[in-house]
Amino acid sequence: MNNQLELLVEIGRHFAATQDIEVTMGHALARIAELMEAEGGALFVLEEGETEPHLICHASVGPVDIKGLTVPADKGIVGRSVTTNSSEMVRDAQNDPNFDTSMDAQSGFTTRSILCAPLSVKDERIGAIEVVNKTGGDGLFANDDLTLLEALAASAALAISNARMAGELAEKEVMRRELELAAEIQRGLLPPPGEDDDFPVRGVNRPARVVSGDFFDFFIMYDGRIAFTLADVSGKGMNAALLMAKTASLFRCLGKEDMRPGRLLQRINAEVCETSMRGMFVTMVAGIYDPASGRVVLANAGHEPPLHHSTDDQFKTLEATAPPVGIPPELTGGGAVPEEVLHLNGGSLYIFTDGATEGYVAPGVELGSDGFMDMIRTGVSDGLTAQARIDAVANRLSDSGQVLRDDITVLVIDDAKPLQNRQSHDDDVIMNDTMKKQIEGASMDEGAVQSHDGSLCALTLPARASSLKLVRRAVGDTAAACGFSQEQCQDLMLAVDEACQNVVRHAYAGVADGDMVIDIRREGESYVVLLRDHAPPVDVAKIVPRNLDDVRPGGLGVHFIREVMDDVEHLSAPDGQGNLLRMKKVI
Amino acid sequence: MDIDITEQGGLNVVAISGEVDLSTSPKVRDALLGCISGGKGVIVDLSGVAYIDSSGVASLVEAFQTAKSKSLGFALAQVSDTPMRVLKLARLDQVFVIYDTLDDAVAAMA
Repeated sequence: MNNQLELLVEIGRHFAATQDIEVTMGHALARIAELMEAEGGALFVLEEGETEPHLICHASVGPVDIKGLTVPADKGIVGRSVTTNSSEMVRDAQNDPNFDTSMDAQSGFTTRSILCAPLSVKDERIGAIEVVNKTGGDGLFANDDLTLLEALAASAALAISNARMAGELAEKEVMRRELELAAEIQRGLLPPPGEDDDFPVRGVNRPARVVSGDFFDFFIMYDGRIAFTLADVSGKGMNAALLMAKTASLFRCLGKEDMRPGRLLQRINAEVCETSMRGMFVTMVAGIYDPASGRVVLANAGHEPPLHHSTDDQFKTLEATAPPVGIPPELTGGGAVPEEVLHLNGGSLYIFTDGATEGYVAPGVELGSDGFMDMIRTGVSDGLTAQARIDAVANRLSDSGQVLRDDITVLVIDDAKPLQNRQSHDDDVIMNDTMKKQIEGASMDEGAVQSHDGSLCALTLPARASSLKLVRRAVGDTAAACGFSQEQCQDLMLAVDEACQNVVRHAYAGVADGDMVIDIRREGESYVVLLRDHAPPVDVAKIVPRNLDDVRPGGLGVHFIREVMDDVEHLSAPDGQGNLLRMKKVI
Repeated sequence: MDIDITEQGGLNVVAISGEVDLSTSPKVRDALLGCISGGKGVIVDLSGVAYIDSSGVASLVEAFQTAKSKSLGFALAQVSDTPMRVLKLARLDQVFVIYDTLDDAVAAMA
């Protein structure tokens, strides 16, 4: 009896100190079998997951190793013990109807007698422990043996249960850490605040939970205009956060390629619908703000109406012009989201998620649209900066003592400072700093010059007369690097300038906000310029060089291009949008 | 781009310098047509022109035709290599009256 008590204490201590529950189970089972003079023993653990409940052998001693053996939870002596949560003592296994003889048939082992005790803690069924074939005495297990096995089983069950709980806790800790990392990545997706206090676009985002389904973003375009977006993904959990990350990436990638708000939302919708999970959608606003004019082009896919606050303290809402992103295009007829144009004239534009207006400021009291407008009005009259105004709204909701019901996100475009700049600088800014940086950044790729293949320089520019100087510089630099004579360089500059002029004057026909993409390439012994626009397709048959005998102003451009270039081709643009001109000159 | 207008021998001498392109050619056009509507012949000094495109050339052609219709003199002088190359590409070197120096132009037209 002393031996038995010692074993109980020993096993209890082992389980308490274990780092590896599997090893301890094996060790404990071996000691139990030894003490009980059993020929063999096994410890089964119940698995109840998505499949049928079954018992898996986690430890085994004796002549036949059955570790890893899986049996249905309702089969055999072990199954009966687990199912009824009671011990079993079978003196004559071969004649017990519950005994599964197939095992013995496979292993060549003959099971004579079995002692089995369930492993359980309170109502939680964990498994069972069994010993077989007593070797000492009369070869039969006695009631004392059963009592001892039950005591050992209780100790083992508690240890396994504790180990499981510790595992779950560790797993929860890992999940919590993962969630925090996800939140960190998500915060990284938001644009940095920037050092320029006068920068007109500002945002704030307060997640209701660790991660957020909202986001805002903005970036400065090559010509100084600012592209911006704000979106709200349905839901607040990890699925919303992931869809937010996807949508935010699409905005950046596709927006830098072709930033026309209505068309951009259409393209994002197509991408999201192609892969998105059913039933999730994104309400989204995308737009372009031009600090040089105060003009905003806005497209709104199912989002809360943005608010324009004018300098004479009037609020105007701008309703959504299309259903949210995530609604399949075939249901809505597809097409670009209609765009709206407004002039801020020194006022501000507020774009926000419903978390801002529906957040509680007191138990059961929402801030509401009126409350939101009041706070903006107060902020303006108190002389707060745009950032301070929207921070005040977010703070009011997150410091109200009420639980945040939803993520809070507000984006503001404040035209006050740009208006002052416009009034003090009447002269035309031919080339702004961003454009200057672009030409400096887009300096020739020397590798391509030497390897005789690849892009030498690629520029995306607004289709305006003021862009042409930049085009000529890019052409002049690259042509010289390819070994053209000074006169040939001048000719090439003229030809490409003329081609771009045609885009500005004819393809876009003076419509603002058009882009042209100039890709200068070296292709073997040829200097190639690809000129791409997004204007309506031009009827190529109508482009003819003029008759030079007919002296009149105009119409010389096409003649210059054909005179200078060795080959001029009008190609169809890759996605059927706009025009693509390919000009080639042999080096 | 800069435009400098002076008077010499009863003629307007319009000296253009810098780059004449789509964004600056309207100013050239306005300056030339302004001189012609003032009733004086025009000599365009192109010695300082670093670049000229089809819109710049078109301004010259339009001014030339307007002057002709009013029986006023119109000539180009001191045409530097770059604009000369463009005029040749347009076969307009045969159409415009071109003098090597300003003095030659004034002597011939005054």
